[in-house]
Amino acid sequence: MNSFVKIFIFLIISAVIVCGIVLPIPHIPALGDKARVLYFHVPMSWISVLAFFMSMYYSIKFLKTREIDYDIKSFSSAQLGFLFCVLATLTGSLWAKFNWGSFWNWDPRQTSIFILLLIYGAYFALRSAIDSEEQRARLSAVYSIIAAVTVPFFVFIMPRIVESLHPDPIINTSGKINMDTTMFIIFLTSLLGFTLLFLWCLNLKVRIERVSLKHLRSVVD
Amino acid sequence: MSLYDFLEANSIYIVMLIVLIIWVGIFGYMWRLDSKVKKLEKKHTS
Repeated sequence: MNSFVKIFIFLIISAVIVCGIVLPIPHIPALGDKARVLYFHVPMSWISVLAFFMSMYYSIKFLKTREIDYDIKSFSSAQLGFLFCVLATLTGSLWAKFNWGSFWNWDPRQTSIFILLLIYGAYFALRSAIDSEEQRARLSAVYSIIAAVTVPFFVFIMPRIVESLHPDPIINTSGKINMDTTMFIIFLTSLLGFTLLFLWCLNLKVRIERVSLKHLRSVVD
Repeated sequence: MSLYDFLEANSIYIVMLIVLIIWVGIFGYMWRLDSKVKKLEKKHTS
C-alpha cells in the first residue's frame, strides 16, 4: 500500500478521534454523550460485514480457479472480520452497561452478533482440523459462502423483526435518518478511515500469509 | 492559564490525548510491520 494512503489513514482517524471526542453534539434523549460511540462502534460492525462478504467473494473465486492465493485472501478477510466483530461486540457491550444497565442482556442485536461469532468461530475450527492444504481450502471456501449468506439475516433482518432496545443505526434527536450535520460528517469520515485501515490490515495479513506459505514450501522442498 | 490548568478544567481533552497516543502506537507498529514484511518479500523473491 502506498505511503500517502497510510498517512491519509493516520490523519483521517486522528481527526475522527479529536472531533468525535471534543466537538459538541446535540442532546439526544436517553443517549446523551454516549451517542459518540456511533463514531467507533458502527464502523467496527460495518467492517465485519464487509470482511465477511469479501471472504465469500474470494471463496467463490477460489472454487472457480483453485488458486491458493484466493484461499489466503478469503481466510485473512474472515479473520479480520471476526476481529472487528469482536470489537463491535465489546464496544456495544460497554455502551450497553451504561445505557441498559448490564453488559449483556440478550437483546436481539447482542444475540445475533453472538450467533455470528459462533458461526465464524466454527469456520476457524474447521480450518484447523484439516491438514491437507487443498482440502482445507475447498471445504472452508464452501463453509465461508454458507456463513456469509447468514450475515444479512443476523445483522440487518433479525434485529428488525424482533423488538430491540438498540438505537437505529443512524440516530438523531428525532430518531429519523437526517442526523446532525457535524455528527454525520464525522461518522462518514470514520467509516472511510476505518474501512481504509481494514484494507491496509488485510493487505498486510495476506502478504504475511503468502510469505509464510513460501517459507513453508521452501523448507519442505 | 497554563496547559495543565486547561487540561484539569477540560478533562475530556485528556481522554482525547490518551486515545491519540494509543492510535499513534498502533499506527507506528503497523508501519514497521509493513516495512518488515516488504523486506521479507524481497528476500524471498531474490
